[in-house]
Amino acid sequence: MKEEGVEFQQKDEIIQGMCDAVVKMDEDRCVQLCEKVLAYKIDASEAILKGLSAGMDKVGDLYARHEYFVPELLLCSDVLYAGLKILRPHLKLDQVKAKGKLMIGVVQGDIHDIGKNLVVAMFEAAGWEVYDLGKDVEFGKFVEEQKRIKADIVGLSTLMTTSMLGLPKIIKMLREEDPKVKIMVGGAPLTAEIAKKFGADGYASNAVSAVKEAINMISN
Amino acid sequence: MAKQMLIDAYRGKWTEKAPWVPYSGVHSASLIKEPADRFLQDPELLAKGVVYAAKRYQADGIPLLFDLSVEANAVGCDLKWWEDNVPSVVTHPCSDRIPSMAGLQLPTKMSGRWPVIFEAARIAKPRLDELDCVMMGLLCGPLTLAAHLAGVRIFTDFIKNPERAHEIVRFAGEVGALSAQFYADMGCEIIAIVDPVSSQIRSEVFQRFVTPNCQPIIDVIHSAGLTSSFFICGDCTKVLEDVCRIGTHGIAVDEQLSLNLVRDMARKYKIGFSGNLKLTLALSLGMISPREDAIASLAAGGNFGFTLAPG
Repeated sequence: MKEEGVEFQQKDEIIQGMCDAVVKMDEDRCVQLCEKVLAYKIDASEAILKGLSAGMDKVGDLYARHEYFVPELLLCSDVLYAGLKILRPHLKLDQVKAKGKLMIGVVQGDIHDIGKNLVVAMFEAAGWEVYDLGKDVEFGKFVEEQKRIKADIVGLSTLMTTSMLGLPKIIKMLREEDPKVKIMVGGAPLTAEIAKKFGADGYASNAVSAVKEAINMISN
Repeated sequence: MAKQMLIDAYRGKWTEKAPWVPYSGVHSASLIKEPADRFLQDPELLAKGVVYAAKRYQADGIPLLFDLSVEANAVGCDLKWWEDNVPSVVTHPCSDRIPSMAGLQLPTKMSGRWPVIFEAARIAKPRLDELDCVMMGLLCGPLTLAAHLAGVRIFTDFIKNPERAHEIVRFAGEVGALSAQFYADMGCEIIAIVDPVSSQIRSEVFQRFVTPNCQPIIDVIHSAGLTSSFFICGDCTKVLEDVCRIGTHGIAVDEQLSLNLVRDMARKYKIGFSGNLKLTLALSLGMISPREDAIASLAAGGNFGFTLAPG
């Protein structure tokens, strides 16, 4: 059977190929296949979801199993972004609606952002709208931007113990502005118990688990 | 006696009791009520803080400073200074070129903050000797320094552009060897390679990039008759065996690891091991009792090659 411009089997092969390209860190192959998506008029949203996002899901599993590490995650996210760059402009308006809105930043006093960048990649792969405030973000900026963006989840990231100690203050400031805001924290010095002590609603030990944690947070 | 006990423990030998090393770092600045940025750039304050910390905590050994930006700064990277923390490296001259093309030179004793550190050592060493306390030199390991020089790009280069990565990490290893020599010249009796980034890679990458580029550093330390250690931060379970095999007399680990696992691995390789009080949970936040954490660590570590230290 044929969909306009492409056989179903061919479409499935292209999309599966995109998924594999993400997992195998093959940016050239991914770009090639994304261009075929457009040439054959395959639905861009389906290609992103079943190709690129599915690939990042597999990458997440490999990371959780300690088969992939930070270098692999970064390369896979490069492939993801290369694919998104081609396909996103071709999403139909009614397909652009995100699963949720995340605002995230590395807290004031800390410029380590690899972890945060990986979280951003995982959320974008999962179809979230992400507002990345960058690194060394002042406490007040989180509040100011949340007023404007009204994110479903505010993510606070830190690698350093000293900046971690500022989290309770940011959380308090965010809640004073919006008592219903949901806040997730993550970073090397943190644990679930520390996150709870600080008043956060959620905690992610790594970029891969962050998306699942976010979905739990907005479902509750 | 304390010094020799610490050196014996670091070398994997039996000791009457486990020696103790508080990795005081910029905490020493807060002990003498100075901001970290001022502390780290003033030799007299640095020496004052280190000696004060050694006395207060009855240390058997203490790092002269714990600042992994020294080497990057010495080869020309810019720093962002903080009042309550070590500085962060903010420029990466090798983000798109190898060190020779970026014009990087190996540092001298006059590069960056080395003059400050040498002067601080000159002041602190006799006072630490009086306390029978080892003065430790902590240098930035090759992978972490490579990450400072190249930025996040180094991670992807391990896979996509390994020749480039090799050039950068090799240069970083050479810089580390010079740091080791500097610390040896200052009178440090134990010199540790501190390489937190190396906990974030797979074993094969560790063996290809970290192990060979630590050898020049270890050679300098051992040729000087001094004691060596490899300190790795974060959850390094997947590369722990590689760490044990790297060739240092001992290793030091972070709070995330099971000390039982580390002990058993260290004894297998007949090396010393130190750790791993819960710096965050116990010492920073008091969420678990530091006393009980210490008791548990001492029980796990035992008397063979073990040094009690924060993770």
